[in-house]
Amino acid sequence: MTGDSAIEATHRGLARVWIDFESALSQVPVIARLLSGRLRPEDYRRLLLNLRQQVVEGSRWIIRAASNLGPAHEELRSLFVLHAAAEHRDYRMLEDNYVAAGGVREDILSARKNIGSEALSAFMYQAASKADPVGLLGAMFIIEGLGNRLARSWGEAVRAQLSLGEEAVSFLLYHGENDGDHLDMFDRALALAVRGPAESEDIVRHARIVARLYRLQLEELDNV
Amino acid sequence: MADHIGRLSPEAERLGRLTLRQNRIRTRHYAIRPDGSSDWTVARLAARAVDDVLGGAELDAADVGFLATATTQNDTMVPGLASGVHAEAGLPPMEIASLQSVCASAMMALKTAWLQVAAGEHRAALAVGAEFSSRYFRPGFYQDTATLREDGTLPGDAEFLRWTLSDGAAAVLVEDRPARRGPSLRIDWISLRSFADRFTPCMTGGAVRTEDGGIKPWSLHDGIGEAARAGAFQLRQDVDALYRMLPVWMGEFMRLVDEGKIDPGAVDWFLCHFSAHSLREEMVRLATRAGCMIPEERWFTNLYDKGNVGAASLFLLIDDLMKSDRLRPGQRVLCAVPESGQCVMAYAAMTVVEG
Repeated sequence: MTGDSAIEATHRGLARVWIDFESALSQVPVIARLLSGRLRPEDYRRLLLNLRQQVVEGSRWIIRAASNLGPAHEELRSLFVLHAAAEHRDYRMLEDNYVAAGGVREDILSARKNIGSEALSAFMYQAASKADPVGLLGAMFIIEGLGNRLARSWGEAVRAQLSLGEEAVSFLLYHGENDGDHLDMFDRALALAVRGPAESEDIVRHARIVARLYRLQLEELDNV
Repeated sequence: MADHIGRLSPEAERLGRLTLRQNRIRTRHYAIRPDGSSDWTVARLAARAVDDVLGGAELDAADVGFLATATTQNDTMVPGLASGVHAEAGLPPMEIASLQSVCASAMMALKTAWLQVAAGEHRAALAVGAEFSSRYFRPGFYQDTATLREDGTLPGDAEFLRWTLSDGAAAVLVEDRPARRGPSLRIDWISLRSFADRFTPCMTGGAVRTEDGGIKPWSLHDGIGEAARAGAFQLRQDVDALYRMLPVWMGEFMRLVDEGKIDPGAVDWFLCHFSAHSLREEMVRLATRAGCMIPEERWFTNLYDKGNVGAASLFLLIDDLMKSDRLRPGQRVLCAVPESGQCVMAYAAMTVVEG
């Protein structure tokens, strides 16, 4: 398999993981409610409160992964660092949204991770701690994909169903806005990382694991 | 076109022109006259297609032991279409199967016919697809129902299909050997998968959508009149859901590529049933990125002059390809039939052989 065909195989593998992930998400109770127009204000607050505990870790595991990318992956390391820097305070927007949607700031700051977030976070730090963790691009594909492909339509649906203002849904809306840039950057990272079938399989496998754990996190809202 | 399906309002026709610009359908066939009368039924259309195929066949009608029919909506709710086609075609007693779904019912019929012959149950089998949707796009099917708005327009999910679907029928004969003269297509494999585990109904007829996103069948209304007034007998298509299904359909393609069943570079003719030009463009973008694009010059379509004929489309494509005089032995043909009903994707691979 040549480098180019390995990159294409990675795109195919990731696309298939994504398709399964996206369609399985529609069966998760809170998302099913959202998609059928039955979301309640307390559902949205629970979603934000649970998401925040994982989002707060995001840039930290990316930085750990960057520190484990050796000399052979210098360029990729710089992309990881840039990405982490760009997003490392995103969780604050999420906290503000929670308060604007009627929540108490102290609650979202002090909540524990649900058991799905624990599993997701533990896997991320474990994977990021390995040498040259290029497989984590698969994890980023899933988490970024949620922002790029789903967050905006979710945000709009939340706003419409709960009659909330921009200040209560900006985290979801904002993530949907940068999709073009992020996808280009992801394509560049993939081209840097994939040199043959080994990296390709590793990336797709990480995506599969993270897709399942992310869904677990949404299934286990408030189960701490 | 508006003459045949009837005019609801100038505004509705403006939306119709918009839909036609998007799907790029220029001409199509209807089995109905502008006054709403017709000499046709779905069964009669299918029987005519069967006549045509048998007329050019090397065997006698009596040698055909099996008939599989495909349609979206039969003439009657009871009995099945295969009975109607069998009677209309004047064939001797035979085994039949009525496959009802949407576009993919054609692939269900083809696979059933192929397996019947492959299993040695019959020496030859017929698969036929037929649609006659224009009859229920007539104004009388919307007037005095909750679907028609005061300004004479329909919601997008009802109007879209009025300008998307056409009437017609086509059939294929599946035999245990190639024709003695001229090219035949050998079926290599057929793959059909439903994704109804993750999609709610997207194209519906015979039900209305409820507040909670479910559907209420016509039979659960208080009476026939109430069901009709609620719009239960109209065909509806959730166009947004169509776009959500697109990646799933493409994902099936990628699965078959990864499993080594499809080699995109080795396909000579790609017969892809798609309902609108805009969907085609989206598919091309996705496929290119994943390195599984079949070059566009190998795509074979008749959408722009025959329209989308639902369950008949697959057989119309195969028929037009066979008559194109462009087939050469050894060429590989790949057929793709996505179904939006509740999300089905079907692919079939064939090889051109000379008898």
